[in-house]
Amino acid sequence: MHDEANRYNRVHEKHLLQVDHVSKSFSGLTALLDVSFGIERGHIKALIGPNGAGKTTLLNVISGILSPDSGHVYYREKDLTRLKPHEIAAQGLSRTFQLVRLFTANNAKVLDNLMIGAHLKLKPSFVKSFFLRGAVHHQDNVVRETAYQMLRLVGLERVVVDYSPSSLPFGNQRLLEIARALMSEPEMLLLDEPASGLNDAEVEGFKQLLLTIKKKGITILLVEHNMKLVMDVADEIVVLNFGRKLAEGNCKEISSNQQVIEAYLGSDYINLAGGNLSG
Amino acid sequence: MLFIALFPATLGKISPYYNTVLILVGIYVILAVSLDLLIGFAGQISVGHAAFFALGAYTSGILTAKHGIAPPIALLCGLFVSGLVAWGIGRAVLRLKGYYLAMATLGLNAVIVKLITGFASLTGGASGLLNIPPFRIFGLTLQDHTYYYYFVWGIVILVMTCCLALAKSPFGSTLIAIHSDEEAASTLGIDCPKYKLHVFVISSMLAGVAGSLFAHFMGFIAPDDFDIFTSILILVMLFLGGVGTIYGAALGAAFLKLLPEVTYRFQTYELFFHGLILILVLIFMPKGLLGILTNVKNWLLGSKYLSNPSSLGTDP
Repeated sequence: MHDEANRYNRVHEKHLLQVDHVSKSFSGLTALLDVSFGIERGHIKALIGPNGAGKTTLLNVISGILSPDSGHVYYREKDLTRLKPHEIAAQGLSRTFQLVRLFTANNAKVLDNLMIGAHLKLKPSFVKSFFLRGAVHHQDNVVRETAYQMLRLVGLERVVVDYSPSSLPFGNQRLLEIARALMSEPEMLLLDEPASGLNDAEVEGFKQLLLTIKKKGITILLVEHNMKLVMDVADEIVVLNFGRKLAEGNCKEISSNQQVIEAYLGSDYINLAGGNLSG
Repeated sequence: MLFIALFPATLGKISPYYNTVLILVGIYVILAVSLDLLIGFAGQISVGHAAFFALGAYTSGILTAKHGIAPPIALLCGLFVSGLVAWGIGRAVLRLKGYYLAMATLGLNAVIVKLITGFASLTGGASGLLNIPPFRIFGLTLQDHTYYYYFVWGIVILVMTCCLALAKSPFGSTLIAIHSDEEAASTLGIDCPKYKLHVFVISSMLAGVAGSLFAHFMGFIAPDDFDIFTSILILVMLFLGGVGTIYGAALGAAFLKLLPEVTYRFQTYELFFHGLILILVLIFMPKGLLGILTNVKNWLLGSKYLSNPSSLGTDP
């Protein structure tokens, strides 16, 4: 325990989350190699890089879906590396997925999805569901009220909560997934390409949402391809390429970094970033 | 409900045979409903439900027939043994997913039947366990099928009420999350293996109760009553009635147990009609019998309910 704390102190004190020399490979194919960076409390950190750079793999390592071959992930003073996904979630880390993953089995509704998001607060059990139904009922009502608040927060207040989530337009499904992730009142949010598939107007709305969430004191790690969005909201950016950290810094440093420009050369992103710089 | 309550006093009087049929219907309703918790809600396919049916039946049967223990206590023991075995096996087996879990539970069913046949000194082996006394409670022997009918259906209604309450509770929602996407569920803080194990144990305990009721009703049980075909029969009942609704499972069990009472009139063609009806239902009613009833209800209530597609198959 002492070793762990010392090690943590050594790496960085101001960081809420610290990725420390993480490597991961899949049957010989290197997905992440010695990646280290930290995220300050209350900041939005963007994680960018070309397709296949290892962004989603890193997110999966942080949220415990994958365990790293070597290296550690620290959150506050705790080493998350060997914890299971549900234990990591209980530490206050919540996430969304690149392909929206809402619950649809058994005609699960929009409201059901949000209520399930509050699992860490409700902690339902078989015994509670039977013998403490009064208490559970009260708790349910409180959580339901939070669910409506979260829908308002992400701008889905007009959505009929009794409908299946798959009946929602794609953009709204993304927002619902974020609302679900917020239901557990996390300290930190990991978002995997939350703006992909959104149109320009939706991206603009989404930018405001990110800033609102930030204002609530929630730290965000944002994996995103939309460079305009990244440049507008991120406090710092870390760039991955072929599983290695290519660069880290604020928006200005990253957009003028020669290596980053080379990594993106030939793609559309540089145009977007360039456009943002000239404007 | 009223029909169930009044049946023995009316039609049952004319032909007591139907009382016995309806007791078996009740026992299968418990089996199908308990399997629905596991398959319909948690999404864990089991093709070995009859194994726990057998454990309940044999525990209760052996304790009463050979050791003279009172049936209500034997019933609780059956429930406990089924739950304990489910807990022990579930920890290993529930790591498997989909077809692999189906195969493992299928194997479990075969192993349990083999064990029952093998331990002949205890279980009576292949020739069956004899002389299981009828259910006795508070000094009252429920030998008369009318009394036993009410006892069984009382338990059926209790089980269904509990399962419906469980399905609507946050516990039920958690199971649905696991059913939809285990990985996404785990990132919301859901301990999937724990919940899967809990529902597996609950489901098996209810199957154990059904087994005990079955043993005391029949008075004689044999390994054949609990083989893989029984598991498949329960599975067919569930899918026939409609998965994930509790009511659907009950409806499917009733339908499949009562169907032979109609098709036996075709004599030689009995099996043909039995199979034909099953095929037609499964082809034309993908949401099961309950889906059809819901459609009819919506049609009668007017189109405003139909405008909400998600209301189909959610309530009876």
